[in-house]
Formats: sequence, C-alpha cells, structure tokens
Amino acid sequence: MIEVDALSKTHQRAGAAEVHALRGVSFRIRAGEFVTIRGASGSGKSSLLNILGCLDRPTSGAYRLAGEDISSSTDRELARIRNRRIGFVFQSFNLLARTTALENVEIPMIYRDGRVDRKKARAALDRVGLSGRYGHYSSELSGGEQQRVALARALINDPALILADEPTGNLDEASGSEVMAILKELHREGRTILLVTHDNTIAAHAQREILLRGGQMVSGE
Amino acid sequence: MKALAEFAQALRGTIRFRRRSFFMMSGIAVGIASLAMLDSVGENTRRETMKRVKNMLGTFDTVIVRPGGGRTRGMVSLANVEPVLKFSDAQAIAAELAGIKQVGQLQNAFDVEVSYRAQELTPAVFGVSANWLELRGDAVEQGAFWSVEQEQSLARVAVLGSEARKNLFGEETPLQKTIRIGGVPFAVIGTLASRGAGPAGGSLDNLVLIPVTTASKRLFNRDFLTMVIAQLRDPSDADRAVQQITTLLRERHHLAATALDDFTITNPAAVMKQMTNVASTLSRILRGVAWLAMLIGGVVIMSLALIGVSERRKEIGVRRSVGAGRADIVFQFLAEAALVSVAGGAFGIALGLGGANALAAYQKLPLIFSFQSVAQSLALAAAIGLLFGIYPAWRASRVDPIEALRA
Repeated sequence: MIEVDALSKTHQRAGAAEVHALRGVSFRIRAGEFVTIRGASGSGKSSLLNILGCLDRPTSGAYRLAGEDISSSTDRELARIRNRRIGFVFQSFNLLARTTALENVEIPMIYRDGRVDRKKARAALDRVGLSGRYGHYSSELSGGEQQRVALARALINDPALILADEPTGNLDEASGSEVMAILKELHREGRTILLVTHDNTIAAHAQREILLRGGQMVSGE
Repeated sequence: MKALAEFAQALRGTIRFRRRSFFMMSGIAVGIASLAMLDSVGENTRRETMKRVKNMLGTFDTVIVRPGGGRTRGMVSLANVEPVLKFSDAQAIAAELAGIKQVGQLQNAFDVEVSYRAQELTPAVFGVSANWLELRGDAVEQGAFWSVEQEQSLARVAVLGSEARKNLFGEETPLQKTIRIGGVPFAVIGTLASRGAGPAGGSLDNLVLIPVTTASKRLFNRDFLTMVIAQLRDPSDADRAVQQITTLLRERHHLAATALDDFTITNPAAVMKQMTNVASTLSRILRGVAWLAMLIGGVVIMSLALIGVSERRKEIGVRRSVGAGRADIVFQFLAEAALVSVAGGAFGIALGLGGANALAAYQKLPLIFSFQSVAQSLALAAAIGLLFGIYPAWRASRVDPIEALRA
C-alpha cells in the first residue's frame, strides 16, 4: 500500500538555518494494516504524515502509494489522490464553520465529480452514530460528535487509506474510545489505518508502530 | 457537474458570510445605481432636446439659407434682413444643384395685424411655398394646405397655427371663414397640428401661413426672401451641399473673391449635434463619477475578499485536504466575488430605477428603461467582481494547507 524509500524533507525557513524534518526514512505498510506513528514533537511525524497524505512533497526519496509514484505528481493529481484514496482525520476536527454536519460530509463528493449524493452522506452520518444530527451546525455539536462528522467526511469517497493525526487528542476518554472503536471497525473492513499519536494506550490498538526521533526511524520496520 | 456543485458551494459561501457579502455589494450597487439613473435621465434629456430642436427646425435633411453675412440674432423677418436673397436664387438652387431635391421659400413678418370680426392680433405671418409641410414635418389638422396652382394664381388663402386659430376663433370652426391680414381678406382653408415648444420653450404655433407668392405680391410688396430651405438628396452630405450653395449664391450675387458672404447657411443636423453635445457633457461627467464609484466598489470587494481569505484559511486547508486543487479554490473565490457583485448590480439597478422613476415623475418625463442597459450593467458588475476577485482568489489558492490545518 505504502512504500517509502530514503524519504527526506528539508524546510527552508527565511533568515534561518534549514530544518531537516525527515532524514532518510524508509518503510512499507501493507494494505489493511493498522499502524501508529509515534514520536515526540519535532520528531518529524507531522512532516511524514503530510507527505503520506499527499499534502506535501518530499525533498528527496520516493513515495509510492498503491504502486503509484507520487513524488513528481502535479497539484491536480495530488488533489485527486487525496480526494479518492485518502481520508483525513485531524486533532482539531476541522469542520467548516456555519455549515451543517451533512454539508460538511458532502464536500469531498463535490471535488470528486460534483455528484452530491445526499443519501450516501446521510448513511455515512448514520454509520458514525449521528442520525439525529444532519442539520446541526458544527458549533452545536460536542467535540466527540464533531470528530465523528469528520470521520464520516473522511469515509464518504470510500478511501483505502485513513490518516488520523491525534484524532483523540482533543476528546474526553469516552468520546475518544468511540472514535477509536470506529477506526478499528474501519480497519476490520480492510482499510489501511495510519494513526499519529503520542499516547501509548492508543498506540496499543495498532498492529505495528513506527517510532520516530529527530527525523529518523528508531524502530518499526 | 463539478463546476455546478462548486458554484453552489460559492453561493453557499456568500450566504455563510452574508454580512461581509453585503458590504462587498454596496460599492457596486451605488455605482450601478448611478449609471442606471444616468441612463434614464440622460436619454430623457437627449430626447427632449432633440424634440425641441426638431420642433424648431423641422426635418433634418435640409440646410437653411438666410440673407445677411453676420450671425442673425433671433428670428429673421422682413423687417431685419438685407434684401439680397431673391426668389430667383431659390429657383436656381433647386434647378442647378443636383444634390438638392427641392427648396422651400419663406417671407415672413411679425408686425402684421390679423383680424377676425372684432378680434385683432399680431401673430407671425409666414408667406411660404406649397411644399412647406413636407420640409417642416408639419401636419394639417383640419382642412387642407394650398396647392402649387393656388400658389401660382396668388390665391388669398390661409392656414392657421393651432395657437393663432385658438386666439382668433376660440371654439368656433375656422374653415371657410374670412380673416383679414394687413387689411387684405383671406379664406381660412386649414389648420395645423400643434408643434409644441421650441428649444427656448416658446410656442411655435402662433402663426398664420399664406402662399409666399401672395405674400410677396399682394401683402408685403417685397421681392426678397427671409429664408430658403433646401432639402438634400443625401442628408449625410450636408457639407458638400453647403459648399455648392455658397459657390452658386456668391456667383449670382457677383461677390468679389475678397468679399464676405451676404448670406448665412446653417445645417440643422450640425446644430442638433451641438445641442445634444452640451446635454451629454453633463451626463459624461456624472458617468465618470459613477465609474469612479464602481472602481471604489471593486477595491472594496478586493480588500474584503482578502480579509475573507485570511479568515478562511482553515476552510481552504480543509477543502484542499479533501481533494480541492488550487484551481478549485481559485474558482470558488472568483465565483463568490462575481456572485456578490452581480447581486450588488441587481440591487443597484433596483435602486437606480427607483431613483430614475422619482426623478422622471418630478420632471414629468417618462421613465426610460431598457433591458439592454440592465443586462449591460449586470455584465459590468460581474466583470468588476471577477477583475477585482482575481488577486484574492490567487492568494486563496496559495494558502499552504499544512499551515492552515495546523492551527
């Protein structure tokens, strides 16, 4: 599913020295795996996630997603991959303000082909247990509910890969375990789950862990 | 399909941020409103000016020859013109110049007493040729005009302007009645439809028309004309006709090469143009102000859209993460700017028509409303929105999704 070879990322900061966020990271993730990426802040896990999520391109090294080399893809091609193959879940939910739960879930369909299937969006919300919340604005939902809307949004285009960046970081324990339960269910369906966390108990859900330190992989292959 | 869905997103965006959208609309609305008002008021002014000039001059396919070299002040009459423009001159213009279709002759006075029974008045008395109606664009209301035969036989017949008729006859029917003009009896054979006001606002209807031959031989005893109206075959070539008439008359009047013309030729189309130019100078200035308002409206749209971009960084990041490319972001922000300005334009048209309607009612003129100018205004508004939306949209597309999503 994911093949990463000697991946490096160097950030150019104006007026400051270069920051080497990733220094030659290599690993494989097979389709259907549940893997956590763990590391302290500054270890390079965000940089890695951005590249894996096709939001950023590596400075050097190769990244193949489902056999496709995306190191040299155009903005449009990357957007298409994000739209169809990847579902993002963020720590801060990132729902659109002044927009209903249903409309939030529909957005990825707009960028797919413009065919907005409202029934499918409702089904996605039903699936994460938000049947009664279609018309609620994000500001009217609890943190746990917002994160479940975000999960429904991540699922709507049926991606093979879910990238979750500290998805329980802003949630209480009960909401957090609901979100984890949904992620595990998605894993059972055969989706590949990649979870960034620094929480050991969350990491325990995974089959495998990639540990980063100072931009390099300490363990995980 | 995708474009349609993205357009719907843009529409939703303008509604989500309705307060900002409203302020973005306002500048465009003011600009379009002033333009819409100007269109109506300007067109009204132009039509009114044209109508009055036309009332005075008659048709526009003529040039007018008057005796006297300098600029004649006011209306010519037998009392104030030089006796240089003869009947034979008028006949020569018609006969010798190929560009002239026909000529009309005028011999007029303002100090001749006209009476019917006890009623004594001094309307303008015009001795005119039989083709007068055609040259002036006048119409007979009752009765008939005289014929060429009547003119040749020095018939004592008269046609009354509507005001002269009212003053002399009141409600009484004037046809076949006898009036006295300078003591000479004339039979009234017709009346004219009203011409309305001239450029200065005065009446053009207080006159009595009689055959120019009768006027010359039986009434005034003068052999010169006060005006010759020459109708052109090709109205667009008035300058050439003026040139030809000048050459012909100078020759006939035996003027030395150094002598000034002893006649003046005016071109009604040129006069008309001059008068409408004066009217349009004002509207051009106002138009400039409207454009300035529109430009300011565009700048307002741009700066509010830029604020919008920085406030909506997270939204941009989210959209990028779920599959929007840079082009999709550009499209959304451009569409929002266009929507807002078209809405502003529509609002402005409503406002402008309301204002124009009030003004028209005040000036007692019709409200002029053209779908073409409405469509043009909307297109203009959309163009301004798009133009001033380009930079903010480009900025939106350059927002780094990683930075935007981190916050």
